[in-house]
Amino acid sequence: MITMAKARKQRKTFTIDDREIPFKEGETVMQAAAKAKIYIPHLCFNPEFTPNGSCKLCTCEINGRKTSSCSTKAEQGMQVKNETHELTMMRRTLVQMLFVEGNHYCPFCERSGNCQLQALAYDLGMTDLHFPRFNAKRNVDASHPDIMIDRNRCIFCELCVRASTEVDKKDIFSIAGRSINKRLVINSKSGDLKDTEMKATDKSAHICPVGCIIIKGEGFKTPIGQRIYDKHSIRDVGNIRPDSFIEEPSQTEVEKPVEQKKKIKVASCSLAGCFGCHMSFLDLDERIIELLEQVELSRSPLNDIKSCAPDCDLGLIEGGVCNTENIEVLRHFRESCRIIIAVGSCAINGGVPSLRNSIDVKACLDESYINGIGVVNPKIPTDKEIPYLLEKVYPIHEVIKVDYFLPGCPPSADAFWKILNDLLDGKEPELPYDLLHFD
Amino acid sequence: MNKALAALIHEQVKGCRTNKAYLLQILRKIQFSCAHIPADAIEQLSAEFKISPPKIMALIEFYHFIHYQPRGHYDIYISDSIIDHMSGKNEITRYLCEKLNVKLNQPREDGLVTVADTSCTGMSDQGPAALVNGLALTRLTPKRIDQIVEKIETNTALKDWPKAWFDVEDNIQSKGVLLNAEMQPGEAVKKALAADPLNSLAEIDKSGLRGCGGAGFKTALKWKSCRLSSDHDRYVVCNADEGEPGTFKDRVLLNSYAEQLIEGMTICAYIIGACKGFIYLRYEYQHLYEQLNEALHKRREANLLGSHILDGELSFDIEIFMGAGSYVCGEESALIESLEGKRAIPRIRPPFPVTRGYLGKPTVVNNVETFCYAALVIDKGADNFSAQGLSGFSGCKILSISGDVEKAGLYEIPLGLPVKNVLNLCGAKSVQAVQVGGPSGTLITPSEFNRIISFDDLNTSGSFMVFNQDRDLLENALNFTHFFMKESCGFCTPCRVGTKLICDLADKVAAGQGARLDLDSIKQLNHVMNKMSHCGLGQRAAEPLLQTLEKFPEYFVKRMTDKDYQPSFNVEESIQRAIDIVVIQDNQKG
Ligand SMILES: Cc1cc2nc3c(=O)[nH]c(=O)nc-3n(C[C@H](O)[C@H](O)[C@H](O)COP(=O)(O)O)c2cc1C
Ligand code: SF4
Ligand code: SF4
Ligand code: SF4
Repeated sequence: MITMAKARKQRKTFTIDDREIPFKEGETVMQAAAKAKIYIPHLCFNPEFTPNGSCKLCTCEINGRKTSSCSTKAEQGMQVKNETHELTMMRRTLVQMLFVEGNHYCPFCERSGNCQLQALAYDLGMTDLHFPRFNAKRNVDASHPDIMIDRNRCIFCELCVRASTEVDKKDIFSIAGRSINKRLVINSKSGDLKDTEMKATDKSAHICPVGCIIIKGEGFKTPIGQRIYDKHSIRDVGNIRPDSFIEEPSQTEVEKPVEQKKKIKVASCSLAGCFGCHMSFLDLDERIIELLEQVELSRSPLNDIKSCAPDCDLGLIEGGVCNTENIEVLRHFRESCRIIIAVGSCAINGGVPSLRNSIDVKACLDESYINGIGVVNPKIPTDKEIPYLLEKVYPIHEVIKVDYFLPGCPPSADAFWKILNDLLDGKEPELPYDLLHFD
Repeated sequence: MNKALAALIHEQVKGCRTNKAYLLQILRKIQFSCAHIPADAIEQLSAEFKISPPKIMALIEFYHFIHYQPRGHYDIYISDSIIDHMSGKNEITRYLCEKLNVKLNQPREDGLVTVADTSCTGMSDQGPAALVNGLALTRLTPKRIDQIVEKIETNTALKDWPKAWFDVEDNIQSKGVLLNAEMQPGEAVKKALAADPLNSLAEIDKSGLRGCGGAGFKTALKWKSCRLSSDHDRYVVCNADEGEPGTFKDRVLLNSYAEQLIEGMTICAYIIGACKGFIYLRYEYQHLYEQLNEALHKRREANLLGSHILDGELSFDIEIFMGAGSYVCGEESALIESLEGKRAIPRIRPPFPVTRGYLGKPTVVNNVETFCYAALVIDKGADNFSAQGLSGFSGCKILSISGDVEKAGLYEIPLGLPVKNVLNLCGAKSVQAVQVGGPSGTLITPSEFNRIISFDDLNTSGSFMVFNQDRDLLENALNFTHFFMKESCGFCTPCRVGTKLICDLADKVAAGQGARLDLDSIKQLNHVMNKMSHCGLGQRAAEPLLQTLEKFPEYFVKRMTDKDYQPSFNVEESIQRAIDIVVIQDNQKG
């Protein structure tokens, strides 16, 4: 007979952030952590498949060394650190790398709110790209009647590859290329998905953690704002997809604003943007009156003042940088404002205007002024007054130093309110989970 | 498709009994015969191997020297290592392109010739170097270029080019126990086979021999773990991929000490109980293939290889596998993937190759030099070897010395020798810096010249590049950084994306656009890449830039703006396209 004490003695354990975790021989750190309901960030790991170990987000400090926890077997007495400031910062950098590598336009991505990459970005407190965008040229495959593949969003987790070989036994996806030219390819003679045995019911059609493989016609079944990670953080619910998530009703509370602040001078402008962020700002409604007691508006489309006072405390920039005039305005703002906030998706990653980044400038101009539908007197305008287009549309952090980022497309009025009040209170602006959105 | 090609493919496929591991070898042959892999060849291979065409294309794309876009009939690659640069690589390339009237990396319209860059071809002691259809050309001069161009324009077959053009010298400058040893073929194997394998293992252990490929792992321990693995189907693999820029010692060993290498592999097979071995020879060493095969053949004749070696129990044979151009193949688990005919993506380790290697079977992977030393240890005894080291270190190490030295070449030195002594040996003057261990290694300044070559301090695969006071060290960092980006296999996020970000930052600094925040980014990226990358490539890829920044900040300072921040792109360049369009349109209007 085994006594209790003996059983306890035999039970193998290791620690994660000083918490004792039991494990069975052969289990990885990740598997044991998941059983103990400890979330280790990850993207390419999925408990149903053999580990891949490529995304590196699950890197923990294991016995003092940084190692992937999805592919490290747990051992008796092992010491694992998961939640350290250093690891959070490193993981945030990894997520930023994935964002700049692909072309991630969350505001119009079908997976937004259900996307695990985006959810990790939220969880890791990422508000900006930090690095320059690669503007990679990637193909979309819409050939299949039921399934679409938008390679702009592929993060090379190889889950589709594994699902297709291990479960569907079809071997439809592969990885080709190397270095930064890595690509997802379809194993058909034409290279098109339509020429494979792929069905919308296949496992591989329901495994992509991001918005690369999507089922047509289902993208917006659940409205944006009501999706999994709009309400729950990935650390609470884990890496799940809408197909496997059962919704529980939940209430979100709107934070009450804090009062009494000193008056500051604020300017704002919209570069290559749609003024939507400004419209959202106006959604502050009666709170604007309260705000105006604290704030003096300098240049802004809201009051039509055309030049920025040289001593502004705060500059809010909406929109990306598409031409020489944008650069001039932006540089002027940087010189005039103590703090610059990039507001909205376009300012933060280029947004809709940067969709032209994969197209040659000449082709863009031809399409607009020469070959476009309904063009009379076709001619590319060449007046000296017209600013020159840049080759690409850039996020503003690639042109000037930006102090803070307010993501969203547009950011909600509450998000504006929070970040402005933080600054008025002299605090580091920080967005709580429910206000951090890329869409 | 032309019938001859179809027949060639069919014969090859039949020859390997549709073993997928040989796909890469077959692709190499097709490349040599057609200057690319034609679409119908891919189709035929797809049908015969039952692999989908995109997968074959993905395999082709992974390796530098096979292509599905046609290359020139003469496919020339110029070695792009920093040492080649120092001996005039850029001028030579420009001159060659001019004479041939070609653009880099684009086949000439008549399909006769392509010129492209490639990573170090292992000729740093006799650069600038190049490859033509896989064969090495060394010490290129404008005069030699003229001659080469003449042969190309007259479409003269390579076999009719003067033999001397393809001479590769050994350049052995300083011999130690191994390079000096007089070893009779078969002697060491005879000694080993006369006793229990455990005796040989004990001898290797006693010698303190450690891996010479860079990691410095204890050889006896590796062989012992393999021997103890539960699976009895085991393999010996010789890593002759020698890809670290600036190393060439394996080339010399393969050329002049092949007997020792084969001897070492055979002894290893005896110790671990393997019956099959591979030499994974890098593409760039194609010129060694025939003679190596000949050496294997001779040993088979002498009953030193093959079944029942020396009429004993041991049956062991060796096959040469040729690489197709990829630095990461030098990483042992990536090398095994490549041996299996796949894209060379490093595996998750553990399990290490000693328990799960080639085809999932226990496999010992060692460097060329390691096997040579193992043979020496068995032949001449452990003490003879271990007595060589200085200040407590055991044995010798062969350095490939290149750059600003009087005599570039091979130096076999006792482990524990300080860098300053090495510099004296090779006649280096007014040295500014030494890169020990190649781009993946360490950059050291004159104040560190007391540091010693050993596994504990300056570990090196053998590359030892010397730079004098006139060299601009940022050029090195740029060259190394771009090398890593080109060679990244792209498997893991930190390396795939990080190498590109680091290159962009290095270019930005070089273009005089660097700002203080960029230096923070370099440090941040290095930290993430170093700690999170899946293999040594990514782990070391940001080091050259960072080490240059830390040890020689002046090369940054003189190029940096005095600003905190600079845009990621050049505005003038970015609007050029729009300006051109306006100009053209205005001109058309007249
Ligand atoms: C990116 C990378 C490239 C490598 N290239 C080589 C190489 O060209 N030759 C080599 O012997 N080892 C190379 N290595 C080291 C091998 O992985 C392995 O450690 C070595 O072959 C073991 O042999 P040894 O113990 O005899 O040194 C490389 C490692 C990495 C991470
Ligand atoms: S929501 Fe779409 S665009 Fe945004 S990160 Fe996910 S996949 Fe990329
Ligand atoms: S398509 Fe989706 S599942 Fe497949 S590799 Fe890309 S991100 Fe992963
Ligand atoms: S570190 Fe680089 S070379 Fe190594 S596995 Fe990762 S991507 Fe490939």
